[in-house]
Amino acid sequence: MTSLPMTASSDNGRRNENDETSVAVNRRDPIVHFLDKIRLSATKLGDAMEDDNEGEESPTELNTINSAGGFLIVSPDKLSVKYTNTNLHGYDVGVAQANKPAPFKCLTYYFEIFVKDAGAKGKVAIGFTKEGFIMRRQPGWEVNSCGYHGDDGNIYRGKGTGEAFGPTYTTGDTVGGGIDYASQEFFFTKNGAFVGKIPKDIKGHLFPTVAVHSQNEEVSVNFGKEKFVFDVKGYETSARNKQEMAIEKVSIPPNIGYGLVKTYLLHYGYEETLNAFNLATKTTVPPILIAQENVVDEDDSSYDLHQRKTLRKLVRSGDIDAALANLQDWYPQIVQDDTSVVCFLLHCQKFIEFVRVGKLAEGVEFGRLELAKFVGLTEFQDIIEDCFALLVYSKPEESPVGYFLEDSQRELVADAVNAAILSTNPDKKDVSHLHSHLEILLRQLTVCCLERRSMNGDQGETFRLHHVLNNSTRR
Amino acid sequence: MSLFRIFINQLDEDDLEMASSKKVITREEWEKKLNAVKLRKEDMNTLVMNFLVTEGFVEAADKFQRESGTKPEIDLSTITDRMAVKKAVQNGHVEDAIEKVNDLNPEILDTNPELFFHLQQQRLIELIRHGKIEEALEFAQEELAPRGEENQSFLQELEKTVALLVFEDASNCPVKDLLDISHRLKTASEVNAAILTSQSHEKDPKLPSLLKMLIWAQNQLDEKAVYPHINDLSTAQLQDPSE
Repeated sequence: MTSLPMTASSDNGRRNENDETSVAVNRRDPIVHFLDKIRLSATKLGDAMEDDNEGEESPTELNTINSAGGFLIVSPDKLSVKYTNTNLHGYDVGVAQANKPAPFKCLTYYFEIFVKDAGAKGKVAIGFTKEGFIMRRQPGWEVNSCGYHGDDGNIYRGKGTGEAFGPTYTTGDTVGGGIDYASQEFFFTKNGAFVGKIPKDIKGHLFPTVAVHSQNEEVSVNFGKEKFVFDVKGYETSARNKQEMAIEKVSIPPNIGYGLVKTYLLHYGYEETLNAFNLATKTTVPPILIAQENVVDEDDSSYDLHQRKTLRKLVRSGDIDAALANLQDWYPQIVQDDTSVVCFLLHCQKFIEFVRVGKLAEGVEFGRLELAKFVGLTEFQDIIEDCFALLVYSKPEESPVGYFLEDSQRELVADAVNAAILSTNPDKKDVSHLHSHLEILLRQLTVCCLERRSMNGDQGETFRLHHVLNNSTRR
Repeated sequence: MSLFRIFINQLDEDDLEMASSKKVITREEWEKKLNAVKLRKEDMNTLVMNFLVTEGFVEAADKFQRESGTKPEIDLSTITDRMAVKKAVQNGHVEDAIEKVNDLNPEILDTNPELFFHLQQQRLIELIRHGKIEEALEFAQEELAPRGEENQSFLQELEKTVALLVFEDASNCPVKDLLDISHRLKTASEVNAAILTSQSHEKDPKLPSLLKMLIWAQNQLDEKAVYPHINDLSTAQLQDPSE
């Protein structure tokens, strides 16, 4: 392995005054996170599936094993219950939970019951309970449960006495129970109308639950197989709109978007786009004024803009040799250590370009000559193996490692080269300059949303930029 | 019931107050979380492309497509047409703009009487601005008055606009805002939005909403935790909780 760069070109003199930190920075090669980006590309397929409801299971039927078997009968389709006893006391309630807890990585969960027969006393209840609930008690009577009861229209939450809540319900009524994860509330509906909501103070998994407690009471459950009577999609939409309106009300500095786009273009060296953008913002009526701070920062991020743009263009066109030659001329310190991340990425890319044009023999030869030295290095091991795997497939672009041949891979390598050049800037303030402002802001946004969600027991929807960008283009 | 509910809610709030030992997240922990976020470059590029396209920077969008490989979400040629309409209104050439919109898609004005009225109103304003009093009156009577009869709010707008004629010094009258350049811009962005909608494209770029969402998300999290903030969007500097 080659040693760390001893001296850099003259414009890098400042860094050498402070040898200690410079070595430390070099050891933790800041470009290393681009390797993780490649690994992220590799998970693209898995991620798309994750997007779909996050693979959570939903309740589909009633649990026949742990329901209070002595007092009620669950129908063969496991979607309705009937109380067959005569109730004598408070410990012979017929309770049935769903077979699975309500999924929680979503905005709401909702299910409905239909009262086929209110029986002798109409003591039907709908609610949510935890796994170890005493199946002979009404939901709501015990701690960590809640229930909306048909005989008095009261809500019960953890006590034997209820609180006035909504109307009573009986034979022929459809009643729904839901969880709003964003506001952390339970809500209930009757015959398609919203009845009310209460704060959800129960943590953890909750099972949709029904209870019957007088002779001949019969209730069927709809876990979403049939169309709901209540417009739960509409409820979700209005909850979303409410949130969107609250967000829309937030005030941000005027034209802040322009400034951020500009620094983004500067950061990644999209010079031609930047020039076109600058020209256009200056000629609009009235000209768009971009905040002062950005102008100050511009000097910093416009560092070697033209060189960065040239190298990006070369990498993106697949001309890796020319990119390496230019780096050697302009930034010898970047390519001095031939096992650095940037060197690794560029050499991998050269191999990929051979595969792309079908020059497999040349690719193999190049691989032996230039890539073999990376094989023993743990940080590169997995990526280089995946890279070589391209040789195995007759149609590599359709293979599981096909992502290497996508445009995004070239872009990623170009980004790594760009970052390496930026880090040679003697005036750079700190490593945070590896990311564009826009990226830093989006990271902050993501973490804020994740943190808030984790404080709600990881309930509710997750924020994903990918989702936001792809969802609303449909509208 | 309501009194009892209020009482219960009150209790809950008190409970929350008592348990308000906010979680403290240090800068180090926070930065670790920030670095763990998986952001795709393609998504960032898509966000920037969406901004360029929606704001109508056709040249920049074209260059960006070449420099970054990002596909624009709509045909770039439609941006040129849209911007031509917008520019025409901004420069006060309203008649020209109306013609261009109709060339683009006659349904836009047919299905959007309010927009059409606003364009006609802007046309009237331009006539008044250039001192073409007779022409202005004729236009108001023939084109705008019938619309005012159909719609009360149009009529009020029309009366307000015609009031410009009454004042000798229109630049110093109660309805002088109508003559301001900002009114042209307002009308221009209304047309712009309508054209975007007709192309089944959102009328606003996503970037500003995401920035608002960031501020909102920070405010929400403030209720539960103390952690490093970004207070200045333009510098994106992380501030320690104490600052």
